[in-house]
Amino acid sequence: MGGPLDPLDALAKVCGDVRPGEPEEGVLGVTPRFVAAPGTVAEAAEVMRVAAEQGLAVIPRGGETRLDWGLPPGRCDLLLDTSRLDRVIEHAAGDLVVKAEAGLTMERLAEVLAGRGQRLSLDVPLPGSTVGGTIATGAAGPLRLLYGSPRDLVIGLTIVRADGQIARSGGKVVKNVAGYDLGRLFAGSYGTLGVIVEAAFRLHPVPSAHAYVTTRVPDAANAHEAVQGVLHSPVAPSALECEASGDGITLGVLLEGVPEGVAARATRVADLLGPGADISHEPPAWWGAYPDGTTLIEVTAPPSALAEAPAATEGTAPADGAALLWGAALAGVEGCQVRWSASGKGYVGLTANAAEVAEVLARLRTTLARHRGGAVVRYAPEGVRTADDVWGPVPALTLMRRVKAQFDPEHRLSPGRFVGGI
Amino acid sequence: METTLPALAERLARALGDEAVITDPVRLRTYECDGLTNHRAMPAIVVLPESAEQIAAVVRECAAAGIPYVARGSGTGLSGGALPRTDGVLIVTSRMRRILEIDVPNQRAVVEPGVINLDVTRAVRPYGYYFAPDPSSQQICSVGGNVAENSGGAHCLKYGFTAHHVLACEIVTPDGELVTLAAGDPGYDLLGAFIGSEGTLGITTKITVRLTRVPETVQTLLAAYDSIEAGGTAVSAIIGAGVVPAAIEMMDALSIEAAEASVACGYPPGAGAVLIVELDGPEPEVAAQFAEVERLCREAGAFEIRIAADDAARALIWKGRKSAFAAVGRISPAYIVQDGVIPRTALPQVLASIDALSAESGVRVANVFHAGDGNLHPLVLFDDAEPGAAERAEEVSGRILDLCIEHGGSITGEHGVGVDKARYMPRMFSDADLDTMQMVRCGFDPAGLCNPGKVFPTPRLCGEVPGVRKGPHPYEGKADIF
Amino acid sequence: MTAPQDLPEPVVGSPGATPPDLLGEGELPKLLGDCVHCGFCLPTCPTYVLWGEEMDSPRGRIHLMQQHAEGTPLSGPMVEHFDRCLGCMACVTACPSGVQYDRLIELTRAEVEREHPRPLRERLVREAIFKLFPYPARLRALRGPLRAYQKTGLDRLVRRSGVLDRLSPSLAAMERLAPPLGRAPRLPERVAARGERRATVGMLTGCVQREFFPGVNAATARVLAMEGCDVIIPKSQGCCGALSLHSGRDEEARDFARRTIVAFEAVDVIVVNAAGCGSAMKEYARLLADDPTWAGRAEALSVKTKDLAEFLVDIGPRAERRPVPATVAYHDACHLAHAQGVRSQPRALLTGIPELTVREISDPEVCCGSAGTYNLLQPEAAAELGDRKALSVRATEAELLVAANPGCSMQITTALARQGTRIAVAHTAEVLDASLRGLGAGPLLRRSS
Repeated sequence: MGGPLDPLDALAKVCGDVRPGEPEEGVLGVTPRFVAAPGTVAEAAEVMRVAAEQGLAVIPRGGETRLDWGLPPGRCDLLLDTSRLDRVIEHAAGDLVVKAEAGLTMERLAEVLAGRGQRLSLDVPLPGSTVGGTIATGAAGPLRLLYGSPRDLVIGLTIVRADGQIARSGGKVVKNVAGYDLGRLFAGSYGTLGVIVEAAFRLHPVPSAHAYVTTRVPDAANAHEAVQGVLHSPVAPSALECEASGDGITLGVLLEGVPEGVAARATRVADLLGPGADISHEPPAWWGAYPDGTTLIEVTAPPSALAEAPAATEGTAPADGAALLWGAALAGVEGCQVRWSASGKGYVGLTANAAEVAEVLARLRTTLARHRGGAVVRYAPEGVRTADDVWGPVPALTLMRRVKAQFDPEHRLSPGRFVGGI
Repeated sequence: METTLPALAERLARALGDEAVITDPVRLRTYECDGLTNHRAMPAIVVLPESAEQIAAVVRECAAAGIPYVARGSGTGLSGGALPRTDGVLIVTSRMRRILEIDVPNQRAVVEPGVINLDVTRAVRPYGYYFAPDPSSQQICSVGGNVAENSGGAHCLKYGFTAHHVLACEIVTPDGELVTLAAGDPGYDLLGAFIGSEGTLGITTKITVRLTRVPETVQTLLAAYDSIEAGGTAVSAIIGAGVVPAAIEMMDALSIEAAEASVACGYPPGAGAVLIVELDGPEPEVAAQFAEVERLCREAGAFEIRIAADDAARALIWKGRKSAFAAVGRISPAYIVQDGVIPRTALPQVLASIDALSAESGVRVANVFHAGDGNLHPLVLFDDAEPGAAERAEEVSGRILDLCIEHGGSITGEHGVGVDKARYMPRMFSDADLDTMQMVRCGFDPAGLCNPGKVFPTPRLCGEVPGVRKGPHPYEGKADIF
Repeated sequence: MTAPQDLPEPVVGSPGATPPDLLGEGELPKLLGDCVHCGFCLPTCPTYVLWGEEMDSPRGRIHLMQQHAEGTPLSGPMVEHFDRCLGCMACVTACPSGVQYDRLIELTRAEVEREHPRPLRERLVREAIFKLFPYPARLRALRGPLRAYQKTGLDRLVRRSGVLDRLSPSLAAMERLAPPLGRAPRLPERVAARGERRATVGMLTGCVQREFFPGVNAATARVLAMEGCDVIIPKSQGCCGALSLHSGRDEEARDFARRTIVAFEAVDVIVVNAAGCGSAMKEYARLLADDPTWAGRAEALSVKTKDLAEFLVDIGPRAERRPVPATVAYHDACHLAHAQGVRSQPRALLTGIPELTVREISDPEVCCGSAGTYNLLQPEAAAELGDRKALSVRATEAELLVAANPGCSMQITTALARQGTRIAVAHTAEVLDASLRGLGAGPLLRRSS
């Protein structure tokens, strides 16, 4: 190509907000050459078209809440900032559907929906997260048990492809099986397949009442028994959480519905959990937040994994709840915290060195494999992260690479951030 | 390198045994269509594998020979998704019907693809669980078919579709490899992409389904209205009040007439519309909400409300609704079951438009729909003995889909695109949209041998530059349409 | 072959009766058109349950019939799939579109009998069966441990055909089940009502029922009498023609039907305790619809035919029910449940007996594999189905199996025996008889071995 335009100029021609990147905007230490913040979907498409012409590696950025998740990019020429794509396009309250742009924060979306007594039934573990980022990282919290994660609530998705084409799938009706569901494919794809620019969600009414029932349990076996008791009862909890740390193990059950119903169900859950159960309008302090620590491990651990009796607790303070979980995979790790949801997702937070994290990961993977579970490092300090296998086994990696190659043959979208070097 | 079909049949018989390979034309023809009979194509070979390994072997043989193949479960699809290829192999999973595992602590079960939907529920019911997706064909449709079609049902308003109730699938990829796609695994949600791909991305050989706790109580009422509009008002009021019923179904006068003729369901005489509302869940929750629903139904002008006192009464209320499709056969020699979706709030306008369309064309349309999620099932009636009637019905049926698209809806809520609606896809999606979907297809099936000719009207050949598309697929002309 | 003495008097059809091969012309396409290919019949079809093949499902067979109607000649494969149909009619019950599969398969079987030359060996087997079962006297000859069997003149034919191998397990079952020879009470032509008479009913004695389960007929007559019915048992009655009708041997069936009509013309109600017979008699109206002389009489007979349980529930209980402390599994005979729609009545009668617990058998709609002559003509499939049913019966842990069809009882006990289990069997009539006579459960349960 003769006399190529400077990338910054080329980008500036199609987008009103383009500038060079700053070192503090680096993605896990990789500083972007440019930052572009398109104000419309069309502008975003143009930016992507120019990026394709210029061969720029692109990383989408929303609220920067999970930009440090995963692996550092192989390169980062352009940060595509979605913060100006922040409109609610349509809130069809009568249809319980909302369509919004990707850069809208989840909090702002919730405000708009609450105005009509509705909500998107996704927790926001990290404040400031955007619609697009939430989908791209598949983020969800305790409500996952009843409502699922973004893949279950996105009913329509608009993306901009690596080549700058705008593509839509789904629509704005909940029931729809026309064509492939790109919404599910893009959920949790970490910006490696395209840039999410708009999404439509199915909504739920805000329940008129709710209650949290919490209790302390002495060990994992009791936690398991209590979890099974609640799961197999007909109380239909919206969430069932387990928190374990140096202080022991706490269970929390969220019930939502009409006031008469919630009151009766909360009493039943309290009965199931036994003496000492507490009913409150307010969530426990740890509810819906990731555990503390410099390393965050996400685990897939179905309820049966709680039945892994601790091998032995010698050398461990018996009060250390985390150490009692999952066959004592977490025993002996200082300051380890765990949040686990009955949906089968959990998080382990710890502050440890590379060798310790590697050890914990290995033990978790061995134990959880018996339950068809696994463990993935979400974030970790640089020295720790590079020392580990962040993702663990990825069964369908060949297919994933082929899908990636179709969407991004030049490997320019968040390169190297995802599984298997994708 | 050229493998002929007879040679392939021999190789398959060696791999699977003679009993599992059908080549006799009389027998083959019984597989020429699924639940949608106006598209027919006799497969060249039918195989009846009994294991995942056998399916993988068949796919590998087909891949090596460059011969297309189509998977079929119970053959109940309503969009021709399992329509065979005259030049290919039909892989029927009806012999793979073992329930492999019931894991109550984790609320899941592992089944083979040929297991019948309702049999999953029957097997787990003793533990207090059921399999939530409940398509009308649940007593015969296979779980593998449910995965392919992302099946829903009357109760998906509250409980969602198959995609929400499948945790993992072992699949045979178009390369003939066995791979497990699981919701919890790291990487892309290929499981999410696979479910609802109508058999074009591979064949599922083992499915881990989520089991749902049987609700403590179920309450059902039937409300009769003078008009569809009044019934629609009730639906809006219920949704507006923040109630999420398990199901809201509506039938119009013509479909009530048909159901009455067929099963004598005894709906209130003179009803212009009946609404069925079902709530389920914890007893105290349902009791409070049900009173609210009843009040709202009355306020919307119901001239009669019946509340099911027990299971038998509930079955009677559902009887008319469940028999509606088949029952229409009693008031019309032939009919097309349409499946379209509109935003729920557009219901009154769209139904008025359908009425106008019906009046203008002289084609009768009976309406049965999942009112809660705007999923319409207009039944377009015609007399197949009358020349031109089928074409007129087809025309009306197509224009109803246009109405759905105009109102921001979908051309299919649960029956799938299959071969029947592939030609409507460009009305709902742009070329770029369809090309993007094709990228997924090309990632899974670069050779285009896995159920080709379905879902997409003019598939881009893999390896082409996106945006460049070939003319009509040769297969388009091959199906014997009558 | 010497003519056995109890061959029915040939009843001649009226001149001008429609020739059999024209029957169904025009009817078939209409019946075929009713099928919308929805597949609801599949899970209830025993052969589909066994093999999972479209051609061995009702939907597939209807497709084959359609192929034939459109000009594809009857071929070996096609006929094979028709032959494999048990005629259990579970699909008729399951069909939401009202497809008359029962009629379709009858017409098709008749067509097969007329048009399709069968191999010699197959022909011999079929002939042997149809020369044996509809004739009580020949059956009687078989009843001892094949003692009189050689004298019938059938022996060489039967042995050559291999039918004996298939028959013997059933015979063994019959032998176990039936009371010892000679104790079978000969029923009089009339049994008077006990107490005030509520009705006068005719009673069909059946062929297999009469010879192998005479106790059932005696119990039926007693129960009817105790419930206030005069029971007329015409001596002139013979086979009702069920086996022939359900196997496409229409002309033979019509002859049997005419004879049965004549035998029962004097009574207002005919009570039948064998499911297959009852369903056939309810079909006479259609069987003889095109015969102007007989159509009216046939219809009259069909209307007044009632299954025993159906009839008893209609008139309501009057006699005192006394305890029968037993746990029973009730088996739905296809020709009762599917062909006649009689499901609730036998259950109602049984649950009306004090101290008797009724357990349901899983998949009640799926046939046990007996299906008239099926266990003789399709022995492997029949055995597999029998095994499945036996497992379901065992799962109920009942001590007594109750069924209203002799074929089912034999089929299931044979299968149970293969699994090393024995269970007492009884007809609904016998359980009621025990209750009404205050015999308790003992006599019913003692018959298991």
